[in-house]
Amino acid sequence: MSDQQLQSRQRVDTISPDDTPFAIRMRRIQAVSRNALDELLKSKTATIGAIMMIFLLSVCILTPILATHSPIKTNYRIRLEPASAEHYFGTDKFGRDIYSRVLWGGQRIVLISLAAVTFGLILGIPLGVFAGFFGGRFDAISMRFVDGLIAFPGLLLYLLIITVAREWKLEGFWNDLILVFALGVNTMPEIARLTRGTAMVESKREYVEAAHVVGEGSFYIALREILPNIISPLIVNATVRLGFIILIIAALSFLGLGTPPPTPDWGSDLNVARQHMETNPMIAVYPGLAICYSVLAFNLFGDGLRDILDPRTQDR
Amino acid sequence: MLIYIINRILQIIPVIFILSILVFGFVHALPGDVIDTLTATDGEEDPEVRAALEKEFGLDKPIYVQYFIWIGNVLQGDFGKSLVTRRPVNIELLERIPATVYLALVGIGLSILIAVPLGTLAAVRRNTLTDYTAQISSLAGISIPEFWFAILCILLFALHLGWLPSSGYAPFFSEPGKSIWYLILPALAVGFRQAAFTTRLTRSSMLDELSKDYVDTARSLGLSERKVIYKYTLRNAMIPTITISGLQLASLLGGTVVLETIFSWPGIGLAIYSAIQLRDFPVIQAGVLVLGIMVVIINLLVDITYRVLNPRVGMG
Repeated sequence: MSDQQLQSRQRVDTISPDDTPFAIRMRRIQAVSRNALDELLKSKTATIGAIMMIFLLSVCILTPILATHSPIKTNYRIRLEPASAEHYFGTDKFGRDIYSRVLWGGQRIVLISLAAVTFGLILGIPLGVFAGFFGGRFDAISMRFVDGLIAFPGLLLYLLIITVAREWKLEGFWNDLILVFALGVNTMPEIARLTRGTAMVESKREYVEAAHVVGEGSFYIALREILPNIISPLIVNATVRLGFIILIIAALSFLGLGTPPPTPDWGSDLNVARQHMETNPMIAVYPGLAICYSVLAFNLFGDGLRDILDPRTQDR
Repeated sequence: MLIYIINRILQIIPVIFILSILVFGFVHALPGDVIDTLTATDGEEDPEVRAALEKEFGLDKPIYVQYFIWIGNVLQGDFGKSLVTRRPVNIELLERIPATVYLALVGIGLSILIAVPLGTLAAVRRNTLTDYTAQISSLAGISIPEFWFAILCILLFALHLGWLPSSGYAPFFSEPGKSIWYLILPALAVGFRQAAFTTRLTRSSMLDELSKDYVDTARSLGLSERKVIYKYTLRNAMIPTITISGLQLASLLGGTVVLETIFSWPGIGLAIYSAIQLRDFPVIQAGVLVLGIMVVIINLLVDITYRVLNPRVGMG
């Protein structure tokens, strides 16, 4: 532990008698976040990733302000125009502003992938913790189930689910919800396995034994004692997964299996741009670059986070 | 070892069972049934005709009986008939599988040819310009969507330079020259992304190996650096690389749908994709099941190979 870290700990531990509990807590939070920031700045990859990620998320939040045109309003007089001061990225074959479409499409794809990963975590973590902690028959059965899901080729699962959704004529919000469901279900097995593996190791530790001796219930131990200690590999996995899911959503809508046409969408915009590849190759560049940027942001941040959290790889 | 293999083979049976239930459930989750499709052209439908047809297709039986009848047929290699071409599904699929396997194998081979030297070089010359270039380009490779890369390749090599055909397929055994000609661009698109994964993996497992004691021993015995790296370290570092390449082969079989669509490559992915467009459910069902089983079997082979190469791996 470096001197600086020691100092920041001591600052927390020295409590003057007239401190209120709230002030103590605030100071502790301050110290913890300062530590986290120090750690983050140590890894170049994580720092760059974090900056890229913050930029991406703020652009998504500020989309309504940043967008200059309606993403779905067509104007046939300005079809396939090159970039100009009016249309920063030019216009597509319906005369829609590509800059605004990229922005709105980004907000949508980031939201869906965030929702999908959250859903996968909600499904996977409890299953993994209980399987790893209780072991025995519950573990065996649930892990076989998870194996079955892992063996299921991902893209095909989405194709199946989306075909069913189409036959049921689900549109708009419901279609997105189905996509979140499908991607979440497919995220679940990896999360469950990862959680189970680490939970199994943790459940043999002394502090768990101590908790048993003190008389805490099994559920309480699993959720309050073990879960906080296994959260870091999960965060890394979830971050990398976010980028991966953006790629899948883009691929699906590229195949025409995403939201139907007027909705701005990076994948389907790329597919449309393909038809004008010879005359206007730049149309195909913007959505593609946007996908690359977002995926790279999550990958860099996840990579850096792994280096920080896993001491074994720290010196690499 | 034999016990382990038998154990693993027994383990895949429930996995395939779950897979088949998912696929079967998919068709039954669709609104309407086969009879609706068949009688759709006749306008008003006669309840008696419907009852007769229900009896013919076995739809009057309880759902689990239907499942066992279906799975019994599948086990005998009978997947039913395509609703569109009226040909048996298994013949349609048998024609398609070689193209997909061909593309996936060449793609993986290409990626190993690029990635293993690059990853090794990056590990040996760690923290030099070579290493950073390899790391950055592999990170970029992971973040670039493969369909976008494919489009850009077509744009450059087929449209601008006119060196390679943008789509097409010829079987390898009848016209090898033409076949390879058509294969270059799709295989490049498949191999590029895989190479990015494999480079990262090779680099990190090489670093793992290089930090082990036996490397120091070999060096202190006066062996040349070349011999240490190529004869001892690389060989050990290849174990995870081979395993992951195998797993990637499995995921590629299910994941080439997008690339097959772009390059009009007549593989099983394109078959499933066009079946989705035409609502040809028997083909979707059979295609997904066959691909899923192939993935499960490849995973099994990879696991067993891993055990043979590295006997220290526990039974877990």
